[in-house]
Amino acid sequence: MNRREFLAALAAGAMSAGVSPAQQLGGMATRGIKPQPRGKPSGLPFHAKFTDVAAKAGLTAPVIYGPPDRMDYILESMGCGVAFLDYDNDGWLDIFLLSGTRREGPVAGATNRLYKNNRDGTFTDVTAKAGLVRQGWAFGVTVGDYNNDGFDDIFVSAWPQNYLYRNNGNGTFTDVTEAAGLIHPGNRWGTGCTWVDYDRDGRLDLFVAHYVVFDFDKIPITGKDPACNYKGVPVNCGPRGLTPERPALYHNNGDGTFTDVTAHSRVGSAQPTYGLTAVAADLDGDGWQEIYMACDSTPSLLFKNSGDGTFDEVGLESGLAVNEDGREQAGMGIAIGDFDTDGQLDVLKTHFAEDTAALYHNTGHLEFEDVTLRAGLGVEPRYVSWGDGIVDLDNDGLPDIFWVTGSTFPEVERVHHEFPHKGPRILFRNLGGGKFEELLDGAGPAINEIHASRGVAFGDFDNDGDIDILIMNINEPPSLLRNDSKGGGHWLKVKLVGTHSNRSAIGAVVTVTYAGRKQAQAVMAASSYLSVSDRRLHFGLGAAAIADVEIMWPSGARETLKGLHSDQLITVKEGAGVVSQERIGQ
Amino acid sequence: MMRLFAASILLALAALAAQAQQPGAQAQQQAGGAQQQPGVAAHIGKGSQLIHDQMYEAAAKEFEQALALEPNNAQAHFEYGVCLLALGRNDDARPQFEQVEKLKGPSRYVTYYLGRLDLLANDYPSAIKRLSAVAANPPIPDTAFYLGAAYVSSGDTEKGITWLEKAAKLMPTDYRVHYRLARAYSTAGRQQDATHEYALYNQYLSQHKSTETEARACSEALRTQSADAARAACQHMYDPNDPERLTLLGQLYGEAGAFQQALDPLNRAVQLDPGSYEAWHDLGLTYFRLERYADARGPLLKAAAMRPEAYGTVVMLGATLYMLGDDAAALPVLEHAHQLNPGDEQTAAILDKLKAEQPKK
Repeated sequence: MNRREFLAALAAGAMSAGVSPAQQLGGMATRGIKPQPRGKPSGLPFHAKFTDVAAKAGLTAPVIYGPPDRMDYILESMGCGVAFLDYDNDGWLDIFLLSGTRREGPVAGATNRLYKNNRDGTFTDVTAKAGLVRQGWAFGVTVGDYNNDGFDDIFVSAWPQNYLYRNNGNGTFTDVTEAAGLIHPGNRWGTGCTWVDYDRDGRLDLFVAHYVVFDFDKIPITGKDPACNYKGVPVNCGPRGLTPERPALYHNNGDGTFTDVTAHSRVGSAQPTYGLTAVAADLDGDGWQEIYMACDSTPSLLFKNSGDGTFDEVGLESGLAVNEDGREQAGMGIAIGDFDTDGQLDVLKTHFAEDTAALYHNTGHLEFEDVTLRAGLGVEPRYVSWGDGIVDLDNDGLPDIFWVTGSTFPEVERVHHEFPHKGPRILFRNLGGGKFEELLDGAGPAINEIHASRGVAFGDFDNDGDIDILIMNINEPPSLLRNDSKGGGHWLKVKLVGTHSNRSAIGAVVTVTYAGRKQAQAVMAASSYLSVSDRRLHFGLGAAAIADVEIMWPSGARETLKGLHSDQLITVKEGAGVVSQERIGQ
Repeated sequence: MMRLFAASILLALAALAAQAQQPGAQAQQQAGGAQQQPGVAAHIGKGSQLIHDQMYEAAAKEFEQALALEPNNAQAHFEYGVCLLALGRNDDARPQFEQVEKLKGPSRYVTYYLGRLDLLANDYPSAIKRLSAVAANPPIPDTAFYLGAAYVSSGDTEKGITWLEKAAKLMPTDYRVHYRLARAYSTAGRQQDATHEYALYNQYLSQHKSTETEARACSEALRTQSADAARAACQHMYDPNDPERLTLLGQLYGEAGAFQQALDPLNRAVQLDPGSYEAWHDLGLTYFRLERYADARGPLLKAAAMRPEAYGTVVMLGATLYMLGDDAAALPVLEHAHQLNPGDEQTAAILDKLKAEQPKK
């Protein structure tokens, strides 16, 4: 909206509805975008079918997050992440679910939960046994082996204090937050968090985004401040009008402790924003990881790694900060993937309702082009959108796009039915040539089921050779979307073990060449919305039975593997090549 | 009766906003047919009003009805196309503009909109061809902006920069232009120029946001306090050199019923930007609401000349003339208003009365 349009809208809306458009926008950035027309359906079959098997798998405990029927404070509306991880190194994905609580008091059974994979499609709740029972306001999670002992550790961002669990290697964890030096002064709202070896010393450092300065006693409850409304309906206040925050960067000292290097690294020099999801990946291929932070209603930040322990914030220059008209969007989730299989890591960022997600094509040299409309994603601006992924769901060799939805203002749908509290899952199948087609049906029953969802993790929990999806639903049990892919497309999974690099190989970029395509993927410690996906990279190969693999390790080393057979999981150890090949999914 | 009529007009006008000038307003006259059936005019008038109120779905229905009555009405096709473009129904908008070309021959406005549709469809060569054709005498000030964007998207960064630089001269306070120009400079490796443009982008975006914030504060103050008490909050918006801010301030005062306070910013706005329909309309509306009909006449005549299809302006002008006792001048204006909105029973009644009185004189 340009200035003249704003002037007109303000005047016209105020007279006609008694509510100004400025008020109608609530505290979120949105553009009032209408859906682009849908093209003629391709009619092509989609071979992935999703069924929610959470209940059957034993994931029955609801994720408590604020009151069951309303969201009085923004803290209660933002929800939390989920994680696929293999905490016991048995080769099967386990699940870690974050949780909130209620302001009125503790809720029986509300806790973060760890579920062990029983390898038969079911999970066992091992939270208590693992020492992870904890109730509070958890938001983000990042998983990585920060002490390089061979077991994945867990960091949780939270309000008012984050916490770090060290994996003891025997199925239990120890809260080492204080010993690690990660207690921060005062109350802060940690959101996005990611392990990142920004200085390439082989040890995982830690980046934490913060959302707003929050205090239950200082922010008006829904209905108390008339300025806090959406479409004329009183809603929770924020983020606009609340004090934005700066992120923090902690350097891993290698002795179990961390040092706050926010100022020295210049991460703290960026403008305060409403920071949410943070991802770390080498976006320009120079061997040093950038950090990209989705920001709500403020420009998103891209920290370019200078390679000397410092970062420059180059969001605007890169094209990743704002939309093509220069306006900030309500950035929620971030996916990193190579949608056009040109060997470069592209970016997908989700936003608020009445705005499209943004698909950014990486044109090299840390320059990105917004190709959202060109790619066909403009048809779907209806929902508030959260956790997302660029993942090949049907193994046809073309990464698809998936995200979940759900409103932050449950009160609004009672007046405006077009802004539902619960929304469906959004799936765009990749048609090739940079084009996508939204699948409103044809991808299984779970896609159209409605929930108020937030975090999403992607991974092959049943080791059957396709990508399943784990979803956080507010005040409901999670969803576990089992993918039953029948198309016969080949695939290859790549698991990396660092030696000179951090053991988790977080920061590596793997490029697989198959059937004339070249697809890049990054090993990440967090993405989607405040969530963690399977660190084993999954490449759909379509009809190709053979693929070449190139690895750029976080240490800077490169490794090439030729003529690998499809339909297997290969484990590559830095400097030692392929150390195991497993024919899973047969 | 006169007072009754005036009161009813006042009530009717209370529902009308100070109107924004639509991009296609002037084009309507270019593209419009000479003679229209009354029903067609009514649908077009109502549709235009709905476009202005950003109720595009409802507006589209009006134009569809107009076209059902008169399939070859170029103005209806044009307005319908604009409406569909606003709805994002780009594929449906295109044939509407193409139909206008068929009916009326080449039009700079149609070429402009087809160029924009080409740009949205990523058909950069066609967008460049069309927008270049009208760029020397642009129908809309942002033509250079879209042409620059088309060149940049096509990969011709240098030409893109040339046109974006022109756009920056035409729309120096539009942050979108400076952002695109900065990005183009950056792509071209002109980092110093890019830095300069990013600074301008930040400056104008910041100003835009300030206006938004101040307008919210003013609106809220006017909603909760007396006009005098709210003045402190609202006067932050009084920039004696910015007609858009002044107009907005006048609109906010007017919307709150503080017509006396609205006069100063609106009078200043029309001095600074005498081509602004909305400023003239708002000034006329304000005088009208203050019952200063002699003062309202001039601004409303100017506004009605700029947008003869704007029912709210036309009917208010007719009412003003009638209140001034200038029945001869009021009659054709009210007839035109009635044609634009045949459903207005009060206008119809007073028209009957005026017509009945004419032979006696």
